[in-house]
Amino acid sequence: MSDAYANENTLVSTESDVYDRGLDAVISLTVLGFALSMVALVDVVPLDASGSALGGFFLALLAVTVGGVGVAGLASWLNVVPVTSQRVRGIGLGLLVTSVGVTVLAYGLGVTLATLLGLVLVFEAAAVAAAGVVSRVGLVDTGPDMSAGLLAGGAFGVIGLAIGAALGGGLVGFQSLLWPVVSLATAGVLAVLAIVPREDLGSTLPAALVVGTLGVVIATSVLGPGWQWNPQTLSGGFTGGAVIPVFVLFSSVLAAWSAAKARAGFGAQGREYGAFLVINLNALLMLAVMATIVVFVTVKGIAYSVHGLSIGAVAAMVLLAPLFVGAVQFARSPAGPDEWHAGARQGLRVLPLAVVGAAGAFLVGVLALGEPVYYAFDYTVLENRVENQLRTAVAVTNETTVGSLLLVLAGFVLFVYFFRKYGTLRNVGTASDRLALVRQAVTMAVLAIAALTFVFLLVGPVPFGITPLWYAGLAVIDLGTVAALALAALPALGVLAGTREASLADSAQDSAPLFTLGVFGGLGLLTVTLFLQPVAQVAPSVGPVNLVTLVAMVATAAMLAAAALVAVAGRSADTRIQRRFLAEELRLALAGAAGFLTLVGLHVAVTGIPQFLLGLSVANAGTLSWPMVQQAYIPLGTAPGGIMPAIVGTVWLVVGATLFAVPLGLGAAVFLTEYAEQGRFTALVEVATNALWSTPSIVFGLFGAVFLIPRIGGDESLLAGMLVLGFMLLPLVLITSREAIKSVPDEYRDASAALGVSRWETIRSVVVPAAMPGVITGVILGVGRIAGETAPLILVLGSTLNATEAADVIGGFRFMAEPPFVANEALLSTSASLPTQVWAVIAAGVSGSPSMGWATAFILLMVVLTFYAVGIVARTYFRRKLNYE
Amino acid sequence: MTYQAEIARLLTLVATVLTVLTVTLITIFLFASAYPAFVEHGLGLFLIPEQNGEPRWFFFLETVLPSASTYWNPVDGAYSLIPMIWGTVLVTVIAGSIAGPLGLFGALFIAEVASDGMREVIKPGVEILAGIPSIVYGFIGFQVLNSFIQVKFLDDGASFLIAGLVVGVMALPTVVSVGEDALSSVPGAMSDGSVAMGATEWQTMKSISIPAAFSGISAGVILGLGRAIGETMAVAAIMASGTQFADPLFDIFDANATLTSLIATQYGSASASTIDVLFVAGVMLFVIVAGMSIVSQYIEQQMEAKLKGQQ
Repeated sequence: MSDAYANENTLVSTESDVYDRGLDAVISLTVLGFALSMVALVDVVPLDASGSALGGFFLALLAVTVGGVGVAGLASWLNVVPVTSQRVRGIGLGLLVTSVGVTVLAYGLGVTLATLLGLVLVFEAAAVAAAGVVSRVGLVDTGPDMSAGLLAGGAFGVIGLAIGAALGGGLVGFQSLLWPVVSLATAGVLAVLAIVPREDLGSTLPAALVVGTLGVVIATSVLGPGWQWNPQTLSGGFTGGAVIPVFVLFSSVLAAWSAAKARAGFGAQGREYGAFLVINLNALLMLAVMATIVVFVTVKGIAYSVHGLSIGAVAAMVLLAPLFVGAVQFARSPAGPDEWHAGARQGLRVLPLAVVGAAGAFLVGVLALGEPVYYAFDYTVLENRVENQLRTAVAVTNETTVGSLLLVLAGFVLFVYFFRKYGTLRNVGTASDRLALVRQAVTMAVLAIAALTFVFLLVGPVPFGITPLWYAGLAVIDLGTVAALALAALPALGVLAGTREASLADSAQDSAPLFTLGVFGGLGLLTVTLFLQPVAQVAPSVGPVNLVTLVAMVATAAMLAAAALVAVAGRSADTRIQRRFLAEELRLALAGAAGFLTLVGLHVAVTGIPQFLLGLSVANAGTLSWPMVQQAYIPLGTAPGGIMPAIVGTVWLVVGATLFAVPLGLGAAVFLTEYAEQGRFTALVEVATNALWSTPSIVFGLFGAVFLIPRIGGDESLLAGMLVLGFMLLPLVLITSREAIKSVPDEYRDASAALGVSRWETIRSVVVPAAMPGVITGVILGVGRIAGETAPLILVLGSTLNATEAADVIGGFRFMAEPPFVANEALLSTSASLPTQVWAVIAAGVSGSPSMGWATAFILLMVVLTFYAVGIVARTYFRRKLNYE
Repeated sequence: MTYQAEIARLLTLVATVLTVLTVTLITIFLFASAYPAFVEHGLGLFLIPEQNGEPRWFFFLETVLPSASTYWNPVDGAYSLIPMIWGTVLVTVIAGSIAGPLGLFGALFIAEVASDGMREVIKPGVEILAGIPSIVYGFIGFQVLNSFIQVKFLDDGASFLIAGLVVGVMALPTVVSVGEDALSSVPGAMSDGSVAMGATEWQTMKSISIPAAFSGISAGVILGLGRAIGETMAVAAIMASGTQFADPLFDIFDANATLTSLIATQYGSASASTIDVLFVAGVMLFVIVAGMSIVSQYIEQQMEAKLKGQQ
């Protein structure tokens, strides 16, 4: 049995308990000092604050500590999160004691924050030194080594060198040759003090000396808040405001390390505790920096960027629908057994569903109330160095209009979701010959209508002045929509008709072919008819509603009815396999309903004619109003304009770069990994792509400026920006794709080859699908990176501050008979983008509007972070999936 | 079917050729565009600035390189990149002294100290920190830190110190990620052996994990420094585009352009001959950063081979 083990089991005496608790308190005090120094550095509380101002801050701090420690303690007491570690308990208690202590001191002594921090350091130094001495004399059980070690000695030497230099400079001046001597002597004393005595003294005394010296210097205001050192030779200098927090930060870490070592009884255990505490404090610092950046940009930018944001209640509900489905999915995931913890987990699972439900109920309430709900607030805008007070509100209105794009978006997301969930219904149920015939006929009809659309597109709606053709178009549309309606009604009717001979469940299973035909056939037919309508310039309508809209709405209802039928049938299904079939049918029917709903929106978007039905309306001009995102800059307007051109520009840049880089990178990765001989060439390409990935972005900009611009259009353009970002994305796509393809196990390839599948077939249907998650994740992360890229765009995009027009890429396409057959003005002209917009605000200097800059930076940050979050979540998801398999 | 396979093979080959061509094209074109300036100015690109008729001390290079009192003036054709090179060095050193130690501790925390749940939160967090666009850092620096430094460091605004601090925070995630990967790739058997011998976790870390992963960690630091050197927008946003030489050499409160921000700020208004010189700056950046990347890749390969051999 080793000494350490025996040590752990010795009964702790009362004296050592005091020792332990005391050191826990010191550690807590250092953590407090660490936090305080960060707060003081960013001037949340000025260093020269004293009296009630300081006391108020400490009271707030005390409240935070009591709250935090209290909740944690309560959770531990209730056995929810049992905290068993004596050290953690001690530090929690210590935090309470020390924050009460500093608060009392702040009120009692009436000194400034700087002096208080100095006193804290002096106290820490004394406590640490006392711990060392107590251990050396043998009053407590500790297991120190012979020496604190050369590493600690070296570290103290370096610290001594720095402190000695400052001390020497202050005492004898930097002109004198004596100051290096002072510096070296201090370093020597500290190093010797650390190395020569036993570990308990060696790791406490030098630390106490350093911390104590700094504490005394700060507490006695030798180095006070008003202190300045401004050498003539430098263009800047140091002030107490910067130096004191840095000193306190450093001393806190040093004291924490020393106290932690003493707390764990020195030796190997002590060194571990000390090192871990420092590592944890460092991690805390990093997290604090990270959170500060994001929170700071959000706070600065959010008011401006949501100026005048309002949304109709119905539109908000449409947006909520995908969230609702997602929340249901989340709530359905298994939560484990029926214990306390699992119960809590279940509560957590249901939480999103409850939130979405509450939001939905709120929206219904707004509709029922018939009055919009406002949240009004004021904020200040700095423009041309003049502060402007702006009043604005965020609102949910009781409008019942839904924007067509919003509807298409939500419907499409739902359709994709249910369709992804849907597997297959092949060979389920009874398929008749007649059904096969109908299936073929529908396919032919879809193709024929698509062809007709193309013909009309080429020759116009009334070709050669022959009106009968126009009538033919009308007839086709009428027939097509009616047929689509019939197809959509098939599943529900089929199930109901079947119930005459069989049970509901059997009948539902039996009509599986009707489901596939109804959903796919109906959707396909209605989609092509929908596009034929504007091209042929026919708009048949039933009453006030367009035929296609009406059919789509009725078809949605029919699909929902079918889904309800299947859901009811599922309850009475006897066999497991039948339940699974019915679940598939349910998903397919829901996918169909979402699809038809999408078509309602799509129809309005394509024709531009708003549709009214049952008190609701769908229109191209929706009720989501977000000026920052939807408007361009308004010169000399009273309300702040938006940055729509910049957002549109960034979207196009990302799309263009992805279209360029992904096929190229993926193709090259497939070739290099699957076809090429692994050797010099592939290694060289790998090194080159890695080097290219870390090449500074501005270098890509230079390349684009002299190589691309003279070759495409001769001026800065959107296309050049796309290509340059594509060049930057290319190496990343190549690297991640190669990694992903390499990580596909060879067993997959062997198994495929053993089945006699050719190499290409193996790649296409085994390797690439297996590697796809990795590729997609890599692409998303890469896109996040290039979306925020600024430097190359300055050189090639030619954007200006506050663009008033967005690049119209889709509308810019022109086709012609002679080469190059296609031209696009928008691609060859300059464009705005989010990052260059921020840069333009900086470059504009005083005349730029910082408020708009913050808002733009906020939106840019959100866009980029969304890409990253999606990428990281996707990666975690796919990794877990792989591991489960 | 065979047709399809052939076509697919051909297509991927074409993609490979295009990718390789892009890489080569960028390299060749950069060098070709920088060549005229090299020929025209030669060592004149490295003029050591003079003060009171004497060339300034610059690590004894002033004895080898030419010197002049006008060292950046497009009208006279004086183009010395020495101030920008020195600016880059200063910013990189400050950034490195922040990102190096903090990054090492951060990597240790994620790889060895943090619990699994904690790791799942912090690791993506660090990646997100890497995702914050540099222009956002630059905007924060421009809006906030510049006034901060006026109060706290008696400076009239932008300085190497602030630029270096910001760039250091930006390079931190790279160091943490690569260092963490290196520490995690140390075979579990090695540290298990140490723990089985009764060593504490810290002893294992200090004597087994860190030495074994040392080359990987240094590769991370090199990559991080590469990022710091290549960082443009934050530096350009924080420091104005001066071309004066830091005086004295180690005055971190001075400010002038670095190689990257010189290109970003001067390109728009530059004459043809200035643009040629900017290309020289571009080539320097390209060569240095590519070189650092290759070195770090080599180190990582060596480490992988070594660890595999020990397994």
